[in-house]
Amino acid sequence: MNPPVRSAFVDGISFWAPRLPGWELARQVLRGETTAPAEPARRPAPALLPPTERRRAPDTVAVSLEVAARACEAAGLDPATTASVFASTHGDLAISDYMCDTLVSTPTLTSPIRFHNSVHNAAAGYWTIATACYAPYTALSAHTSTFGEGLLESLVQAVTDGWPLLYVAYDIEAKGPMATMAPSAGLLGAGLVISPRASAHSRLRLDWRVVDGASHPPTVASPGTLALVQGNAMAPCLPLFEALATGRGEVSLALGPGLALGVEIVALECRG
Amino acid sequence: MTARNGASPPASGAPGRRLPRPGRITPVRISSFTAVSALGRGRDAHVDALRERRSGLRPNDFTGTPLGTWIGRVDGLEEQVLPGRLAEWECRNNRLAWLTLQADSFIEAALQARDRHGPGRIAVIVGTSTSSIGASEEAYRRLTPEGLYPEDLRRPIVHTPHSLGDFVQHALGLAGICVTVATACSSSAKVFAQAERLLRTGLADAAIVGGVDTLCGSVLFGFNSLELVSAEPCRPFDVERKGISLGEAGGFALLEREALAGPWLLGYGESSDAHHMSSPHPEGLGARLALEDALARAGLEPARVDYVNLHGTASARNDEVEARLLADLFPARTRASSTKGWTGHTLGAAGIVEAVLTLLALREGLAPGTLNSRRLDEACGPQIRLENEPAAIRYALSQSFGFGGSNCVLAFGGELPA
Amino acid sequence: MVATHTSEERELAEMIIAALNLEDVSPEDIDPEAPLFGDGLGLDSIDALEIAMEIAKRYGVQIRAEDEENRRIFSSLRSLSAHIQQHR
Repeated sequence: MNPPVRSAFVDGISFWAPRLPGWELARQVLRGETTAPAEPARRPAPALLPPTERRRAPDTVAVSLEVAARACEAAGLDPATTASVFASTHGDLAISDYMCDTLVSTPTLTSPIRFHNSVHNAAAGYWTIATACYAPYTALSAHTSTFGEGLLESLVQAVTDGWPLLYVAYDIEAKGPMATMAPSAGLLGAGLVISPRASAHSRLRLDWRVVDGASHPPTVASPGTLALVQGNAMAPCLPLFEALATGRGEVSLALGPGLALGVEIVALECRG
Repeated sequence: MTARNGASPPASGAPGRRLPRPGRITPVRISSFTAVSALGRGRDAHVDALRERRSGLRPNDFTGTPLGTWIGRVDGLEEQVLPGRLAEWECRNNRLAWLTLQADSFIEAALQARDRHGPGRIAVIVGTSTSSIGASEEAYRRLTPEGLYPEDLRRPIVHTPHSLGDFVQHALGLAGICVTVATACSSSAKVFAQAERLLRTGLADAAIVGGVDTLCGSVLFGFNSLELVSAEPCRPFDVERKGISLGEAGGFALLEREALAGPWLLGYGESSDAHHMSSPHPEGLGARLALEDALARAGLEPARVDYVNLHGTASARNDEVEARLLADLFPARTRASSTKGWTGHTLGAAGIVEAVLTLLALREGLAPGTLNSRRLDEACGPQIRLENEPAAIRYALSQSFGFGGSNCVLAFGGELPA
Repeated sequence: MVATHTSEERELAEMIIAALNLEDVSPEDIDPEAPLFGDGLGLDSIDALEIAMEIAKRYGVQIRAEDEENRRIFSSLRSLSAHIQQHR
């Protein structure tokens, strides 16, 4: 039995990695129209945040707010009324390293700011503060299937609630001894605005279905793309963004050991 | 010193509401549920402790470095052993998950569901705040001279947040959608919402929801750094409350649309505070939106709610804001209480543990009071009760609010609303 | 007119700026007698906790930031510095 294919629309795309800082550039690089800059860009400044939150923002917040804001801009969407799904494989690895290290030596001298930034939903929390958003968010992880599971939850919410939704996926660089067991390098953030209906802002159609994992192994990104985000834990998002860059293509994203999310990117005939 | 509000309130209209209220959802049966906490293992242990007003809190005997506070610790976790096939997932958090799967034969119900629907058709959606970070803490305590993790802890799966979801999926031999939700203290309430959406869209036939969080240095010393932990057993809504008591717990529920018996998940509401990372919205705006959406999805008016299990952490700010919200929205006949004096604040497990206590209140006809508290804060209306009361409870809510301004309210029923 | 800092006050001001990652603030910008919290520097209750932790770490002086009675201690750089010097 073939599971039903459902359609959603991609209204906004964003991307940030040090060698691919921004979707326009990333799109051209992934299409082979230009080469990536040799010099990595500096971490984006979370300009949206009020000063108090801005000076406390760790890398997870900086990179995810950057792609969240750009995706909403591209979609012409008001973040204040937009529900969101935030996905990160490991969360804030730098703070986890700090916490574990401090607990060994001086547990009673734990930083309250870093502790309250350590929650997996810190990026989502800062985003809703920055945008005065009362709409729900979630924050999730599924190890190597994090990107696929987060995208699936976004598609499901768009279907059930009937509103455009923001999807943000990110991981940051691992620090200290933790890096051996939860490896991740550099910063990577990717954002999508997914809408259940076509609108003037819709760029592409996204046809999706949940399929058997054994017969649909995860699509692997091209070696050139992988080299540009060297070892970031969110690298499984890359095949989808390659398809989004060319405006067509089929990819399979892992959903754990047994399932996969099959996605086909389809160009829209007339763009608004 | 007051926390500054980084966000501006919405200009006009119903405060904060900018998306329309959701419509009613089709209720989902909860065919099996259980919990393990400092009160004991399984439903009966929890009912007995509620009836006897016996707290599970004890003076902190968990941390190597002394910390003068009370904790809700689960007995016997140190002696638990995972079956050999699950050795890769070995850590305190997954041991508690395993213990919880055994309670009330939940694992039997889950395996029967697997046989009925097939392993790929059962989703695992579980919540946690810190998952098995305790294993990473231990690795840092026992680093090799080269600065590497000790050999027995070189297992990547226990050093990542999805440790819990991955363990539950493998323990039950499932192969469906599997996600670990980590939105701090609302985590294992939000799993009900995510699972309901999966069932509604037909992506799963059943879902294992729940959550597990265990005591660890990160949360004990982290909450201590925020000066939120109490030196005495927590006293929710008490005028002299001194902060929270941390606890550990696990809980699971099996959601099945086709089930023939069991209480109902009637609705859920989720929202954000848009205010501050660690302080609630001063007017409880986000909490109110979540509450309204839960009632709307359930098709209930506040007056029909018989019992509300409150977040009630015994922190100064949460309890004041939550008490005012209750007094504002509910009639005097609605009973409300915090059960954290029994279990402590179990963080990422609070949603499921309090969902289980709410389901037990429905089943037993017992509205729990608020343990350890003596004199209620003046912000409390007549809804918030100190004493247990026998009561016919048909419809009940459970509220969970977390760091990062993440709110979730669940609506349960012993029967379907007309 | 901004009063001049003692050397202890200046050290404390530098510590606060570093601990809270205050953007574009130099020690001279912190008036030792002006309120530390509220609109001036834009500090909130979490910052008070962070400062208390840094003080415990550097000076070995424990101050509960959330305690009502300690409001006076946290009222200005000068009072905070004086408290540390008395108790270290």
